[in-house]
Amino acid sequence: MADTLLAVANLETYYGPIMAIRGISFAVPERSVVTILGANGAGKSTILKTVSGVMDPQKGTVTFAGREIQGMDPDKVTRLGISHVPEGREVFPFLSVRENLLMGAFTRRDVAGVAEDLELVYSYFPVLRSRAEQRAGSLSGGEQQMLAISRALMARPRMMLLDEPSLGLSPRLVKEIFEIIARINRERGVTVLLVEQNANMALHIADYGYVLEVGRIVMEDTCPRLLEKEDIKEFYLGMKESGVRGTRRWKRKKTWR
Amino acid sequence: MAVTTGFSTTVFGQDTLPKLFRHVVRERGHRVAMREKDLGVWRAVSWHEYGERAKHVGLGLVALGLRHRDVVSIMADNCPEWLYTDLGTLSVGGVTNGVYTTDSARQVQFIVNDSGTRFFFAADEEQLDKILEVRAGCPELVKIVVFDTEGLHAFKDEQVMSFDELLELGLRYEAENPGAFERMIELARPDDLAILVYTSGTTGPPKGAMLSHRNILFQIDYSDYVTELHEGDQQLSFLPLCHIAERTVSVFNPLRTGATINFAESIDTVPDNLREVAPALFFAVPRIWEKFYSAVALRMRDATRVGRLAYHWALSVGARVAEQRIAGRRPGLGLRLLFRVADFLVLDNVKRSMGLHRARGTATGAAPIAPELIKWYMALGVDMREVYGQTENCGLATAMPVDHIKLGTVGLARPGTEVRVSPDGEILLKGPHVFLGYYKNPAKTAETVVEGWLHTGDVGVMDDDGFVRITDRMKDIIITAGGKNVTPSEIENQLKFSPYISDAVVIGDKRKFLSCLVMIDHETVAQFAQERNVPFTNFASLCRTEEVQRLIGGEIDRVNRQLARVETIKKFRLIEQILTAEDEELTPTMKLKRAFVNRKYKDVIDAMYAEA
Repeated sequence: MADTLLAVANLETYYGPIMAIRGISFAVPERSVVTILGANGAGKSTILKTVSGVMDPQKGTVTFAGREIQGMDPDKVTRLGISHVPEGREVFPFLSVRENLLMGAFTRRDVAGVAEDLELVYSYFPVLRSRAEQRAGSLSGGEQQMLAISRALMARPRMMLLDEPSLGLSPRLVKEIFEIIARINRERGVTVLLVEQNANMALHIADYGYVLEVGRIVMEDTCPRLLEKEDIKEFYLGMKESGVRGTRRWKRKKTWR
Repeated sequence: MAVTTGFSTTVFGQDTLPKLFRHVVRERGHRVAMREKDLGVWRAVSWHEYGERAKHVGLGLVALGLRHRDVVSIMADNCPEWLYTDLGTLSVGGVTNGVYTTDSARQVQFIVNDSGTRFFFAADEEQLDKILEVRAGCPELVKIVVFDTEGLHAFKDEQVMSFDELLELGLRYEAENPGAFERMIELARPDDLAILVYTSGTTGPPKGAMLSHRNILFQIDYSDYVTELHEGDQQLSFLPLCHIAERTVSVFNPLRTGATINFAESIDTVPDNLREVAPALFFAVPRIWEKFYSAVALRMRDATRVGRLAYHWALSVGARVAEQRIAGRRPGLGLRLLFRVADFLVLDNVKRSMGLHRARGTATGAAPIAPELIKWYMALGVDMREVYGQTENCGLATAMPVDHIKLGTVGLARPGTEVRVSPDGEILLKGPHVFLGYYKNPAKTAETVVEGWLHTGDVGVMDDDGFVRITDRMKDIIITAGGKNVTPSEIENQLKFSPYISDAVVIGDKRKFLSCLVMIDHETVAQFAQERNVPFTNFASLCRTEEVQRLIGGEIDRVNRQLARVETIKKFRLIEQILTAEDEELTPTMKLKRAFVNRKYKDVIDAMYAEA
């Protein structure tokens, strides 16, 4: 396996008195796509927010490229090469698409490089070029998601943190976006940490996966192997044997093995 | 109330369960018999309602064609319907049999056919699916009744009906056949088969132990051995009713005591329900007592320095009182006052946190327990008595007397019965509690009951005062390659006392040295790792961390220091999977099955000895 780019060890993060993640450790190798699966409230977004510096952990370390970054301010983390694409896009609605993209390059000083990258994201998402001067708020949900990913790419990151890019998108758009995420990883060598509820998609583009349940990792494996696990099939992929009556409603107990 | 003789096989002058049930339902009328939590509210069921519903279940079954001595199987977690079905079936001359909800479809098929079950009660959709999967292979099965039909409204099947439909059927039958129920109550004779209890069968297929009305009434008559119970006293029911201990404590004994049974919502909510109910009597298996202890031990580690000091001080006062009691002495006035202070400041809070502050008595049984654990509870001021027995003697065979405690023993023979140790060290039992035999298995019965003496399969000794000490299951005794006899369960109990070890199996039969497989306690070990910044992801990776290996190694060394040289554990491995009650490695009461573990982890075990 390639060198570890991001290593998280014994991370604990609280929302007030509530412990959202209860001691989590995982590693993301350079140039890989790693996914974290989990239900609502499992703590997935909290992990990304803690890595990108939006939230400070109570305990534990986040090591990026050999440097401890936990508790660092988000802009510093971005400068180090981590771009966070938050859940729900969060584009600047009153700025134009182009302005939004340039906001992503806020931390950069190399004008030529920024122009080059602008061309690059337009090549990934041609629709953004045709909407370049339109207000971002008037874009469709799918276009906004493309913009959010592109904006993150404009920082020329070594690593992207993607928080549920499939949220609220049509199946066709989801497929498109995931294909481009895979391309960005392949062509640009950007390491991706992907948090998803759409387990089927995530497991097909990622190399390695972790399953999170109420703030703890209960399972980890390569994605092809995870796809074979009974619990993943039943609880994340919605595949289950229909049982003798054809309409099984009850759920098996999760065993995570 | 009848005088407790402890010898009688009639209760309130009644000699069978149906007659006793009829008697107490009339006596107690609208007083509360049980409670069930429904949408967050405890809903009460009176004895009158209990009696009516049981009657309609019984008559409904008769309407469906139940004959005298037909077997009815119940596959459900503890709930009022379980009890209605149990007493209803018995009242019309049927035989009841409980099936563990954790059993697989294949196991259900075996038990249904072995017992010749004609009527099967399934808790819900999930259990229904199991019986539907195998019903084609159950030729004697007539009808399946479902307690909870949620999710089944679109489902129609000739052989399946809801519990409510059965009650209606019973109601109609009663109207059309007045007096029939009264006649059926008289059907059973004291020595008739009343219930079947399938033993978990660590070796070979499960066997159906036959228990008579006399067996059960004899044990009911001893229901006050831990503490005298009265109407209005609360109990919590959560261990499987298929198990003879829980059946006795939660179904049969209350017929005599009138205590109210409260059903826990699920096994996960037991600690919460226990605090809500605060029972007067609490019976649990060692695993539960170990878990409660671990939770307190863990909480104390996170406590403030002052909190910890107070806890240790109070516990040491409690321990001195417990030691006096064990020695059979009444503690001096000074110590008694000191204990009152310790109880007021600390111990009472600890008991409250567990829901044991109103418990006048508690009992542990169904598996061996470390004496240190009993001592800890006694130090808190909880009266805990170890009991011993098995399905084949209808539950209780020996119990620790109140006024004379010898820790490490399981007490004295139940009054009216005898205990003997055979020349080869096996514990033998005789008395009205010895069962009728194994269902349709005279060969096994003849091996087990010889000239009235029940061969328990347990090895032990009895001292001059009659106190019995169980060393192990006969077939579990390890004889090492060096010819030394080792009793694994004693070592295992010591290991389980560690808050980090949930269960352990010692290995070493025909081997050069002892080793063991350890199942760690997920919660406490995860907390340990997190406190020390030991990175881990899932359960297996937690087991593999060096620190956890060292932690468990340290716990084993601690136990090793208390053992003789030949008995020390030289190597160990952790079981890297979270096991659940559905797994065949575990009994429904979450004990590791030795034979099964030895087979399943053969490669791991062989590897331990290969590298030596």
